[in-house]
Amino acid sequence: MIEVDESKLIRCPICDAVNIDKGKKNRCRRCDSAIYHHRNFSTEKSWAYLITAMIAYIPANLYPMLVSNAFGIRDESTIIGGVVILWEHGSYPIAAIIFFASIIIPVMKFLILLYLLISVKYPLGKDKKVNKHKLYYVTEVVGPWSMIDVFVVAILAALIHLSSVEILAGTAATAFAISVFFTLLAAHAFDERLIKENR
Amino acid sequence: MIMKLENENDLDNFIICHKCFTLHEEVAIADGSKACCRKCGYILYRYDSKLIDYGLALSFTGLIFFIIANFFPVLKIDILGSEQFITIPKTIFSLFENQFYIVGLICLFFIFIFPLMIFLINIMIFSMLKLQRGTKLTKELLIILSHIIPWSMADIFFISILVALVKLISFGQIHIGISFWALMVFVLIDIYITKNIHISEIWMLRKKVLLSKDKD
Repeated sequence: MIEVDESKLIRCPICDAVNIDKGKKNRCRRCDSAIYHHRNFSTEKSWAYLITAMIAYIPANLYPMLVSNAFGIRDESTIIGGVVILWEHGSYPIAAIIFFASIIIPVMKFLILLYLLISVKYPLGKDKKVNKHKLYYVTEVVGPWSMIDVFVVAILAALIHLSSVEILAGTAATAFAISVFFTLLAAHAFDERLIKENR
Repeated sequence: MIMKLENENDLDNFIICHKCFTLHEEVAIADGSKACCRKCGYILYRYDSKLIDYGLALSFTGLIFFIIANFFPVLKIDILGSEQFITIPKTIFSLFENQFYIVGLICLFFIFIFPLMIFLINIMIFSMLKLQRGTKLTKELLIILSHIIPWSMADIFFISILVALVKLISFGQIHIGISFWALMVFVLIDIYITKNIHISEIWMLRKKVLLSKDKD
C-alpha cells in the first residue's frame, strides 16, 4: 500500500500514462521514456530554440519569398508584399489566411512562448487568471499551420517553370521554414510541468 | 489530496486531461461513448469494442489513398499552350533541384515520410493487437508514433494546395488531378484517426489485449 499526494502525479509526455513524481530521475513506468531528467536544463533548451527561431524570422521577412520571372520581367515579393498583392487583387480570404499563417501565428507563438518561459522563472502574471496550460495548448495546435506559405511556394515553384514564365522560391522560404521548425522544437522542449509548479 | 494505491500500476486507472491537467479516475463507459474532462470538456478517452478492426480498416484505406495520391498529378495547368503538372514527389524533388535543400528536407519529412510512417505503424500496431502478440514491438512502435504525430503535416499541405489554386488562377487554365481527391480522402482519414484514436487509448487496449494474456 502506498500513499500519494494527488498533486504529485504527472503525465508522461510520450504515452500519457499517469506517473508518480519522484524528483529528478523519473522514468515512465509504461513506456520507459525519461519524463524530466533529460529536461534537466528545464528552460534553457526551449530558450535556445526560441531565440534561433526569432533570429531566422528576421531574414524571412526581409528577403523575397517568391521570385517570378515573366517575359524577362523579374518580380520579387516578400511575405508581407505577397499578402498586399493578394489583397489588392481582391482575394481577401486567401490574403487573410496567408497573413494569419505567416505573420500573426509566428509572432503570437514567439510572444506566448516568451511569456511562458519568463513566467515560469519569475513571478510574472502569477495573480492574473491566465490559463497557461490553455495558452500552451493553443500554440501547440496552431503552430504547424504557419508552414502553409512554404508549401504554397513549393507548389508554385514546382508547377510553373517555363522558359518565359517562371516562379522560383526565394531565400526567405528557407529562413521561414527554419524559423517554423525551431518554434515547433521550442514548444515541444518546453516542460509543461513548470507551469504547474509556478501556478 | 492524499490517495491510497495498492501498487504503482493502479495508476493505470487514472488519466490526466491533455488540455488542462486535471486528474480523473477512469470509469467503465458504454460501448461507443466517450468520457470528457469535467473541467474543460476535452475528450479523455472512448470505449469502442471494435477499435482494432476499425483502426486496421482505416489505416489500410488511408495507405491506399496515400499511394494513389503520390502516383498521379495533383494539379495540371495550361500556360501558353504547354501543359505542366505536379505530383507530390515532384514538388519535393523540384525544391532539391533548385538548391533549396533545407526546405526540401523539411517538406520531404513533413508531407511524405511522417504521414506514411504513421499509417504503416498504425497498421503494424493494430495487426499485432489483432494477432495478440508483439508486446515489446508494440511498445516501441507506440513510442515512435507519439514522437512523429506532431510533425505530420499532410492536412496543412492540402490547404496549401487550395491556396496555391487561387494564386494560380491568373496564370492559365487549371485542371485538378486524381491525386487531389485522393489526398483529400487521405487527409480526412488522417484527421479522423489522429482526432479519434488517442494514443493513450491504444496503450489501454494494449494492456487489455497483450499484458492480461501474459499473466494467464
